[in-house]
Amino acid sequence: MTETRPLAGRAADDVSPVRTAAALLAGWLVPGAGHALLGRVRRGALFFVLIMGSFGLGLAHEGRLALYSPREGFLTGLQLVANLGVGPADVFARMKVYGDAAYTVPDQSTAFYQPRIEKFRERQRSAVSAYGTAYLWSAGLMNLLLLMDIWDIAKRRKD
Amino acid sequence: MRSHLTHLVVYSGIIATFFSVLTRRDRREQFRFGGLVWLSMVGGVLLLAYLMFAFPR
Repeated sequence: MTETRPLAGRAADDVSPVRTAAALLAGWLVPGAGHALLGRVRRGALFFVLIMGSFGLGLAHEGRLALYSPREGFLTGLQLVANLGVGPADVFARMKVYGDAAYTVPDQSTAFYQPRIEKFRERQRSAVSAYGTAYLWSAGLMNLLLLMDIWDIAKRRKD
Repeated sequence: MRSHLTHLVVYSGIIATFFSVLTRRDRREQFRFGGLVWLSMVGGVLLLAYLMFAFPR
């Protein structure tokens, strides 16, 4: 089981709040970078490969880049959290797919509505979209777990 | 890549590796735990698929 108590003999080298915040931010910006910043370089590199590999497979298989819709606010909100967990890579993916950093279903009266929805539906119609979505959302959720791991390492609850 | 089985193997591999490195520190423990997670995922899906064979659409 995961150790939850502070590790013995580590009180002297506690991570400062600034370094903890920097590691959390770095970890969100680049998966694995937070671990590298706290001295776990090999582990960080492996996490980077796993998460970006999963993210890449998700994009290659037309995974769903969720759009927030007030009609299904809770579900689409959770989907966005899973997408955004992977950091700015999600923004770049959206710019490539939708043409801009789109996060919402636009109002039907606007010119953005039709092309964005068409693109969204086109990806969903793909035979491999379900696989892609699993890879994409897993990548984001894994990175969110890594942020919690960074917090535990900084607080010396884990090695 | 359209094969269900390939996706199952690859996806399970990613998840098993991730959680084994996240939750275990000892290399042997990581292999043991990762292998167990991978086998559980792949084996569980294959078992479920086998059971579902009796209930065609």
